[in-house]
Amino acid sequence: MIRIDRIRKLFPTREGEVEALRDVSLHVAAGEFVAIVGASGCGKSTLLRMIAGLIPPSSGQVLLDGSPVTAPRAETAMVFQAATLLPWADVLRNVTFPLRLMKQAGAGTEARARALLATAGLTGFERRLPRELSGGMQQRVAICRALLQEPRVLLMDEPFGALDALTREEMSLELLRIWQGREMAVVFVTHSIPEAVLLADRVVVMSPRPGRVAEVIEIDLPRPRSFEQEALPAFQAAAQRIRALIYGGRLPRAA
Amino acid sequence: MRPSTARIAAGLRETAPGIAAVVLLFLIWEGICRGFAIRPFLLPAPSLVFAQTLAAWPVVLKHTWATLGTVLLGFAASVAISLPLAMLIVSSRALAAALYPLLVITQSIPKVALAPILIVALGANELPRVIVTFLVAFFPLVVGTVAGLMATPPELIELGRACRAGRLQELLRIRLPFAIPFVFGGLKVAAALAVVGAVVAEFVGAEAGLGYLIQTSMAFFKTPLAFGAVIVLAVMGILLFQAVALTERLLFPWSSGAAPPGAGL
Ligand SMILES: Nc1ncnc2c1ncn2[C@@H]1O[C@H](COP(=O)(O)OP(=O)(O)OP(=O)(O)O)[C@@H](O)[C@H]1O
Ligand SMILES: [Mg+2]
Repeated sequence: MIRIDRIRKLFPTREGEVEALRDVSLHVAAGEFVAIVGASGCGKSTLLRMIAGLIPPSSGQVLLDGSPVTAPRAETAMVFQAATLLPWADVLRNVTFPLRLMKQAGAGTEARARALLATAGLTGFERRLPRELSGGMQQRVAICRALLQEPRVLLMDEPFGALDALTREEMSLELLRIWQGREMAVVFVTHSIPEAVLLADRVVVMSPRPGRVAEVIEIDLPRPRSFEQEALPAFQAAAQRIRALIYGGRLPRAA
Repeated sequence: MRPSTARIAAGLRETAPGIAAVVLLFLIWEGICRGFAIRPFLLPAPSLVFAQTLAAWPVVLKHTWATLGTVLLGFAASVAISLPLAMLIVSSRALAAALYPLLVITQSIPKVALAPILIVALGANELPRVIVTFLVAFFPLVVGTVAGLMATPPELIELGRACRAGRLQELLRIRLPFAIPFVFGGLKVAAALAVVGAVVAEFVGAEAGLGYLIQTSMAFFKTPLAFGAVIVLAVMGILLFQAVALTERLLFPWSSGAAPPGAGL
């Protein structure tokens, strides 16, 4: 469904051009859950933005269902690292904002939004303003906003980055539950190796300067996933492999 | 009705120091006038100001209405012109480059110098006064609105782009709502300046208005009445400012209290 074909991305800066991505190729099947991990600055957000059609690649192309992505598409939704809610709109209007903007809001939109908010544990908060919510609640609103678009491709850029560990685990499982009920490909950027292994069918490990795909690791764990699986050898092996790739053999050791 | 009485109490607590300061100022003023026996046409005591203003109340009221009319028309013109102007400036680099020098020129010209020219050109009617009021008031509103439109976080802009918003949609649905606190910062300054602008225009050419009243009163050494007119002007400025603040709180509750730094210029 998503085919990334030998993408390269150069950013002009004051000290000449920065090569953010070099020769990145990747295929994501319909309904597949792919996680991307890698050191800070290795081009994960850049890659996600190009899949979203927000920025063009310098060379190579992104294909969605066979046609090149040149602008944002209606079937793609994005969850940013920060919640990026509209400060002037209440929760319900934030969630329905993309559909209203794209003139796709219909009679059932509000009811669906309320139902989604309910699954995210936000019943009773529909009329609150973003600043009256905690960081975790804001991020859940942002996820509901993306899901309401019923995207076939959901792009998530460290969506749980700002959350505490407990909320993070809870929301990971919630995301899996929602994903399982839909035909939706997910590309999920994260800094957390266990999170990537827990969620994904495949984990793409990227290496920095310039950003490249170091390796793609298949995760052979049965679904539905749960945190008990962290103890399984398959889980540990995958996590170890990713760690080794990221730290390039020089595994950091506590003294 | 407990919450509302609590709100009134909180409101009183907030305004009490301001009221006390004003009362104190008047008391000192009164004390100085009496203590040094200053002659009323030089500096009238507040008690005399109040007495004489009250005695001439119908006249003062007539002039107040005239000035208020000019102020409101000039203020409305500022709003009607500044907001679209700010959006034009933000929407195109070339337009911004063309318009900004013009704006700065209008600000560098002393309005007192411009007023008589306008009156000769346009006749001694309401129009030149409204134009002067507008010229005095509109600039901070444009600058504030532009600042707000430009201050929209890039993440929100990117969200709009991801939702396939065009330039106009981005401006109206994302940038403009974000700029509301900045707009109201500009509106508050503009409201206060509109009073200044109207009086400046009345000094130069008018048959009515508080500016005219001040001039004619002073010509006949009716200093207390002139002071009364000044106090009415001050009250008018305060009320307009508060009306803008109240409008903001009623229409955009998310805006007040969350105003970004520098919103008031
Ligand atoms: N608009 C831009 N202009 C110039 N350089 C940029 C721009 N965006 C990204 N870069 C550069 O591209 C590289 C990759 O950035 P990117 O944001 O994609 O990294 P990332 O993997 O998402 O990092 P993090 O995990 O910290 O979010 C960085 O070196 C960054 O400096
Ligand atoms: Mg990033």
